[in-house]
Amino acid sequence: MWKVTRKGLAGHKLRFLLTALAVVLGVSFIAGTLVLTATIQKTFDDLFADINRGTDAAVRSSNVITGNFGNDTRANVPGSLVAVVLKTPSVEAAVGNIQPYVQAIDNNGKSIGGNGPPTFGLGWDPNPKLNQFHIVAGHAPDADNQIVVDKGTADKGHFRVGQQVTILTTKAPQKYQLAGIARFGTVDSLAGASIILFTPAQVQVVANVHDEFSQISVVARAGVSQTQVTEDIQRTLLTNGAANQYQVITGKALTKENQDSVHKALGFISTALLVFAFVALIVGMFIIYNTFSIVVAQRMREMALLRAIGASKRQVLASVIGESVVVGVLASAVGVIAGVGLSIGLKAVMNAVGFQIPGRGVVLRPSAIVIGLLVGTIVTIVSAVVPARQAARVPPIAAMRAVALERPINRVRRLGIGGLILVLGVVSLFFGLFGSGISLVGIGALLVLVGVFVVSPLFARQLARIIGRPLTRLRGVVGNLSRENAARNPRRTATTGAAVMIAVSLVGFITIFAASANASIGSAIDQQLKTDYIVTLKGGGGPGGGGISPVLADKIKALPQIAASTPIRLGAARIGTSTTFLAAADPSAVGQLYDFGVTQGSVSALSAANSVAVSTRKADSKHLKVGDALPARFVQTGSVPLRVAFIYKNNTLAGDYIISLATFEKNFAAQYQLDAQIFAKLKPGISVAKGRDAIAPLVAPYANAELKDNAQYKADQKKQVNQVLVLVYVLLFLAVIIAFIGIVNTMTLSIYERTKEIGLLRAVGGSRRQVRSMVRWEAVIIALFGTLLGVAIALFFGWAVVDSLHDQGFTKFEPAVKSLVFIVVITGLATLLWASLPARRAARLDVLRAIEQD
Amino acid sequence: MTTTIPPTKTVAARAVAASKIYGTGDTVVRALDSISVEFPRAEYTAIMGPSGSGKSTLLHCLAGLDSLTDGHVYLGDIDLSTLSDKEVTKVRRDRIGFVFQTFNLIPTLTALENITLPSALAGKKPDQEWLDRIVDTVRLRDRLAHRPSELSGGQQQRVAVARALVTKPEIVFADEPTGNLDSRASAEILGFMQKAVQEFGQTIVMVTHDPISASYSNRVVFLADGHIVDELQAPTADAVLGKMRNLGGE
Repeated sequence: MWKVTRKGLAGHKLRFLLTALAVVLGVSFIAGTLVLTATIQKTFDDLFADINRGTDAAVRSSNVITGNFGNDTRANVPGSLVAVVLKTPSVEAAVGNIQPYVQAIDNNGKSIGGNGPPTFGLGWDPNPKLNQFHIVAGHAPDADNQIVVDKGTADKGHFRVGQQVTILTTKAPQKYQLAGIARFGTVDSLAGASIILFTPAQVQVVANVHDEFSQISVVARAGVSQTQVTEDIQRTLLTNGAANQYQVITGKALTKENQDSVHKALGFISTALLVFAFVALIVGMFIIYNTFSIVVAQRMREMALLRAIGASKRQVLASVIGESVVVGVLASAVGVIAGVGLSIGLKAVMNAVGFQIPGRGVVLRPSAIVIGLLVGTIVTIVSAVVPARQAARVPPIAAMRAVALERPINRVRRLGIGGLILVLGVVSLFFGLFGSGISLVGIGALLVLVGVFVVSPLFARQLARIIGRPLTRLRGVVGNLSRENAARNPRRTATTGAAVMIAVSLVGFITIFAASANASIGSAIDQQLKTDYIVTLKGGGGPGGGGISPVLADKIKALPQIAASTPIRLGAARIGTSTTFLAAADPSAVGQLYDFGVTQGSVSALSAANSVAVSTRKADSKHLKVGDALPARFVQTGSVPLRVAFIYKNNTLAGDYIISLATFEKNFAAQYQLDAQIFAKLKPGISVAKGRDAIAPLVAPYANAELKDNAQYKADQKKQVNQVLVLVYVLLFLAVIIAFIGIVNTMTLSIYERTKEIGLLRAVGGSRRQVRSMVRWEAVIIALFGTLLGVAIALFFGWAVVDSLHDQGFTKFEPAVKSLVFIVVITGLATLLWASLPARRAARLDVLRAIEQD
Repeated sequence: MTTTIPPTKTVAARAVAASKIYGTGDTVVRALDSISVEFPRAEYTAIMGPSGSGKSTLLHCLAGLDSLTDGHVYLGDIDLSTLSDKEVTKVRRDRIGFVFQTFNLIPTLTALENITLPSALAGKKPDQEWLDRIVDTVRLRDRLAHRPSELSGGQQQRVAVARALVTKPEIVFADEPTGNLDSRASAEILGFMQKAVQEFGQTIVMVTHDPISASYSNRVVFLADGHIVDELQAPTADAVLGKMRNLGGE
């Protein structure tokens, strides 16, 4: 039987090549993700090992707030703690440091970095064991007006040693003399971060702190182990009555902790990427299933003959499964290799955009190979099981019959099973959306898609005819042939369409979701924001983006043209069991700048110490009313009971918790006193143009900030949403490609099956063009069948998700009709173009040979 | 327009020194060896011969489905061997009718749609009166809305005959049109074709190996080894059988 398997594959090379392509693409996505993640992980592992190389122990605050993405924040420790640590006999050196946000401005007035890897300042540590930077040009900063920057930053800013460089900090922008340029270990830049090194005294100034550190690094005396010195320090702290507030860990543990937090963050990224890879593979499964089904149907006579001459059912089954194993293993192997290539390419791209991954090559772990091979092979085999069983079921007598008859569709059973899956899907989707978590949403969505797929052959014929109706009118008999061909094999049309359906439903959903986000934010800006101008961080203040010095907000507020103004500050605190962002604003001004939609209490009450405003959503779920206490924990001040000042319903822009600036300043460390935005409203009678003339010169020196009017602000918010949208589009593109491969695959198989028919059509006067047209339009009908189902599902998903997020600020459901129509039209046009491949093949068939083919 | 084709005894199609050679060197096969033959208008010609005699090749070349190695085939005054694929396709669509042995119909189209397929491909409306007459002649009136899978073998061939006749082609080529039918259905089909020649003045060229089928024609041309070896006017089944025996054929 192995021979039959081999011959079966050899006889249908093109078909299996296309099938294999679907597997190759999916597996390469998985392998590429795993390899890239491992490579980045290795980079950071090495990096942290380098950073902490000379550190034998670290002393820091035990008050920590764990972020959701491995980003922990800790309280500062007093400078006096260094002296205490130094009392430990086994400690050779103890140096405190702090890492405030600072950002350099290049010679053209543009801020360097800030959109991605962080930008921060450090004190130049004279202890060579604790300082992994080494000067490659100039010298270390030896006066408070001198700095050293990493070589990556120097290159980006085209800085020369000795020149003046303006630095943004918590204070007003200030010029420093560039004393030197440093490399970190063997790399120009610490994974793309922009680092500015000050004197230890000056870094305190730019951090806005007085003798405070975020961590004290310790070097042990020679011969003392890390564990030993750690225990010794703990004892010293105990005798000085400070053991509970502070934590001492070994350098190794610190490195491990740093690495783990990166692993956690990377885990989120790789999970997200793998989800898209699995989407691509699931789409691929439909292609594989379809190819095997059609090939098996075409080879029914062959299978029957095998059965007639004595092959057992099991042997026939094994021969088809065998084919899938060969295809699966080969395609997966190619996929893993392609994945490695993909990761090398992506690494080059990341290096090009400034996220440096040093070293040659990539990290290929055995697990990446094994996972890629296993997933690809299993997916292929699973997809081939149903067609294989169908092949085994063929009765030997079918060998004598002329045509391979399609199995009739068991309508009742199909409706029952499909309907059940659909209902289960909808139920778990809603359970997931309204409380039980994201994974249930995913399972629900998948079940809905599968359910629709199972049911779709029941109406594929009718729907294909409806879609093709205009064709009959436009293209006459050729259109009619396309339409009837698309309708003649509902199972095939449904399966091919299902691949398109999945891709389109996800593309459509994300489009609707983004449009709804934009509509919600847009309407909130229009209706709730009463500002004339808003100062924002450039690029929206992504991770590592820091903030705007509060000096700017003060200057704007002091302008005579301004009626009201407040900075907006953001910080993380622990409320209940989750880490939550709080927004801070000036209670005396914010009421004039933003319509909270207050349902209880008053905005002015927020000025009382440790007050909080809560959205109705949170107030309802926590059963809060004005005057109630809301227990919160801040990283700097620990547990603080906040008192509810007012409750508001408009949380699209404001989020769920608001505190006053005073409360923020009291509970967050000084280096975090940076503004995310500044709201400003002009006095009556001041024109918008005059207002800009007054504010713009103040904003200009702050290269990380931008002045926007409401319309610009709205456009900017939309741009940010659309950036995410484009990213998701890119990730879904592979699934779309695979779905399109499926269309060509099906058409190729159908043409092969209908060779005689095409020959006849040509014999009675059908031109090559008419044959091409017939094939292309059939493909378009099949594609549109999937697209329309996909759009319908996208609307359902979009509505369900947006509805579930209504009280989180998604107040508007926007069906994005224009975009959806665009998707439908583009799918149609792309198919028309893409299907010219099989169409050309069909048109090239030799008429005589086609007619005489047996 | 609804009258029949004028029964002038001019030539509808002819082959002039037509050769078709397959293979090269030792394996060379001369399917047609410099054949010259004429098919007069409004005549029903049968081409007979043993397997491998070249009769099907001759039909395919005359119909523009296959090309000659040497020589010429004419449809009326048109030399098919000089035309491009596009032009030949147009000739097939507008001037030639076909009836094959099996698989004559597009399975997704109804009987009526199959009958009108050539005119539909040309983007023309069929002559309704003529269509009605043909449909009534082949007695398909009550079957027009059916798909091929819902028709019997005989009915399917009747649809094919109707399709071949409905464009009023200059010539109809039939390749073993009754090869897959029982004798009753065969007689019916052959009767219709005979009627088309007699009543409408249709020209028909039919390849067959069955003497009874051949007896419906006006003239039988016998082929063997790529040559025309004999001819018989106003054939009877017995006369055909006699000639065939002489050829050592079937």
